[in-house]
Amino acid sequence: MRSRHLAIIAKKEFSGLLSERTILLAILLQLFVALFSSFLMVGLTSMYDPTSLSQYSHFRYNIGYAGNDTDLLYTLYQSPDFRVYRIDLSTGVAALKERKLAAVIWAPDTSPGAQEPVKVTLYTLQNDLQSAIVDVKLKDVFLNYEKDLRAVRVDRLNEQPMPLEIPPSRGAGDFYEFVYGLLIPLLVFMPAIIASALIIDLITEEYQHDTLETLVSTPVTFAEMVWGKVLACAVMVPIQAAVWLFLLMINGIAISNGGLILLHVTISALVLILLGALTALHYRERTAAQFIFSTALVVVIILSLSLPANPMNLLTRLAVGTAGPEQWIVLTAVIGVVVLLAYVLQKYAERISRISHSG
Amino acid sequence: MGALADITTIAKWEVKRSVTMMSRDVLPLAIILFVLMVAVTGYSAQSGLHLQDGIYRVATNDEAVASLLASDNRFSVTLLDNNPLWAGRSSYDFIVMGGQVLPSDTDKGRAAVKTLERDYAKYVNSVYSRQDDLFAAYPLWIDTQSIQSALSFSATQSGQRVGAPPQRGPPVPEGTIEEIATPSPTLAATEDELRAELVKSTSQNTQIARYTETLSSGSSAMGSFRTPAQLSPPLPFDSIILIFVFIFPLYFTSQFFMMSIMNERIERKGELLLSAPVKTSTIIIGKMLPYFLMMLIICSVLILWIHAPWLILLPLIPVIFFFLANALIIGMLARSFKELSFVSIFFSTVATSYLFFPSIFANVHVISLISPLTLIVLSIQGTAWTAADYLYSTSLFWLTGAVLFYIAARNFKEERLFSEKSLVTRMREFLSEIVSQNHPFLALFLITGFSIPFVFMVQMMCLVLFFNLPMPLSLVCLLLFAALVEEIAKGVGIYTLYARDPGFFSVRNLVIASGVTALGFLVGEKLLLFATLAEISDSIFGSILFLSLGSLWLPLLLHFGCVLIVACCLKKWGSNGFAPGVGIAMIVHCLYNLYFILGWLG
Repeated sequence: MRSRHLAIIAKKEFSGLLSERTILLAILLQLFVALFSSFLMVGLTSMYDPTSLSQYSHFRYNIGYAGNDTDLLYTLYQSPDFRVYRIDLSTGVAALKERKLAAVIWAPDTSPGAQEPVKVTLYTLQNDLQSAIVDVKLKDVFLNYEKDLRAVRVDRLNEQPMPLEIPPSRGAGDFYEFVYGLLIPLLVFMPAIIASALIIDLITEEYQHDTLETLVSTPVTFAEMVWGKVLACAVMVPIQAAVWLFLLMINGIAISNGGLILLHVTISALVLILLGALTALHYRERTAAQFIFSTALVVVIILSLSLPANPMNLLTRLAVGTAGPEQWIVLTAVIGVVVLLAYVLQKYAERISRISHSG
Repeated sequence: MGALADITTIAKWEVKRSVTMMSRDVLPLAIILFVLMVAVTGYSAQSGLHLQDGIYRVATNDEAVASLLASDNRFSVTLLDNNPLWAGRSSYDFIVMGGQVLPSDTDKGRAAVKTLERDYAKYVNSVYSRQDDLFAAYPLWIDTQSIQSALSFSATQSGQRVGAPPQRGPPVPEGTIEEIATPSPTLAATEDELRAELVKSTSQNTQIARYTETLSSGSSAMGSFRTPAQLSPPLPFDSIILIFVFIFPLYFTSQFFMMSIMNERIERKGELLLSAPVKTSTIIIGKMLPYFLMMLIICSVLILWIHAPWLILLPLIPVIFFFLANALIIGMLARSFKELSFVSIFFSTVATSYLFFPSIFANVHVISLISPLTLIVLSIQGTAWTAADYLYSTSLFWLTGAVLFYIAARNFKEERLFSEKSLVTRMREFLSEIVSQNHPFLALFLITGFSIPFVFMVQMMCLVLFFNLPMPLSLVCLLLFAALVEEIAKGVGIYTLYARDPGFFSVRNLVIASGVTALGFLVGEKLLLFATLAEISDSIFGSILFLSLGSLWLPLLLHFGCVLIVACCLKKWGSNGFAPGVGIAMIVHCLYNLYFILGWLG
């Protein structure tokens, strides 16, 4: 196998990708996924944690209170988030329908120490973003009231949970697990998946467009042609992943062990690319190859995710800086798989070219 | 009758061909992989997903705390004596000493504490739900009642907030007051039922629930009864998983259709088909029919499998139609397999997000109805939806699908299918095919009119995207994007005409072309608005997206001016003038919106 031949094939594939500008679409796709998942996270979090929406945080919502006087009413009076009105239940619900109130609460005359629970009825608007926010704010009030009631009934408990004093962490650290535990492995791994889909297209295209004859008549051997394509796909992975890491770092997300992350991703990507190449060589037809490969890909990804210390978990731990020496064991194992697949691919390619030469 | 017979023949042909093609040991392997997939999914459901294992390093001197921490495999826990614990605290994300949590002052430390907070709450809940006297541990229950308001989407988003401005006394409703029965002070469920539910909500300790517990602290099958800790907007997570169950098979099947179209084009294999004495629309329908039926069958099997109501086929059909239309166009446009892969992956990601993300808000906000999947979520939950809801959420899918089919049918011929030009050139040629040579102005009017469903779709997407941002920012982003999308849509027709025949653009023709484009856009916009989207169009977001429904001559003038800018740029600088032209038009459009709608300049 000559390296010059590999380089020629790889270069040819690269210029094909560049002239078609398909690579642009691939990058656009990744950007879109990143954008949308971040937007979604921001949106959902702001829905559940209204303090992150500055506009709403200093607003006092009008609440109607009906039924009997309880400690709940006094907790509500003291809350800076609400303006409470004593109101008749029917009038309150009618005002709620006209959006003159944000919620209506009805409290029974159950005494705090009674045998049965205190059942409060809460009326809010259906399908409404702001009533979701009011819900979250009311939750704090209810939790405090629950604590008071529990304190009254404490003698009736037969086991107390072990006490743990946790410092308040309002609004902080919500995105941390999303960014490091989901976004980074996703973004860094996406180039690997794209590359493995690409190798199938590159190989089946030669078969289906009958361009193999021309290629085989050049000094390049069949195996060299396959490896050149593998090389072209593999080279793109660390480049794209590096760009992602760089972009994340520009956005103020500190990532440790950038170099190691790229190494792990490239090796793992080789597993997928070699699998793709084998599938493509076997089927020689895009529909079948892509179908089988994408199903196999789902199996491989789900399986590896359900194993502890899988390559994707390793990426996360490398990025947050808690990866231990076990990363080398995982890396060695993955390299072992790559070597095995590479051997199979080489033998398979040699066999195919022997058959086509003799036939 | 003849056309129907032709369609059946072609459909049979298609089935036969794909069966012979797939026979090369694809089916056995596919079955093996499918069985493997089920097995692996079962295994991962049992062992959980290990993506975030060991991301936090924590330490404690208390064995009980250590075992609590170790139950969450995000923590890698070290058990230490007092002195080394205190001395080495800087190398941990937090340490627990004597019942006190001491975090490091970093984002990671705070995130670790937040995780612990949730784990601890779950632990406390598990202790409390074991109590003999359940109502001593959970003394407060909240019965949540949803009230439907007549003023919905429009009122909250147009700057008004829930509730009235500050006032002296309690608010007085203007309408009639309906009598509300006094709620009963007792729970409608027994203590044991409630305990079972509480235990269930604590035991949902899978790694998948981890992503959702940030958002909602547990589902509830207890009807409307909740403990205060469970009080948060419901996230229909089960239903969302079901949606993926429906959408992915549809996407896969449409891939086969896409590939079948592509295969006709490789090495001019489809020449035989084209030379057959049938209409192109017959060929397309015939080729599409097997895939359409297969998708319907897949959906029906899924419905039977999950025991869902048959009603959800109704919103699925426009989605199938839309997927097939796009598969057809992509299969006709792509030059190579690489291009086919990337364009189709890109399309499917965009389409899936358009379908998926609004449906998350199914129980929270009316905006979720722009996705047909919301109707599916609602059906599965047992909530009723109206014919108007159906029209509102599916009309864009029907319209865009139909327009794409029309374009495809007009272009399904030799010189288009077998040409090797670049993607953008081919798109322009496809459009140019439907611009009639004899009536260019009428065609321009129609093209712009029919671009409206696409414009709305993209704008809806932007609305969903930007709706998540805080208020002023979301308006600004929407303002810019809406203007950009509209200007591009209006410019495309003129650009196509120009690219085909630059000499056509005399000053007179230029003005007329701009005029008909503007008119086409306005007419299309108004028609679609009146038909479907009144709910959104009345809000402040709507006023940016669609211009006001009130006066007609101002928007017409704006459209005319903007198109004229683009056309002049094209005339002056040729094709290079398109981008700057659209840029200038976008700025003009934004200024108009700012001035007339928001009144910020005035």
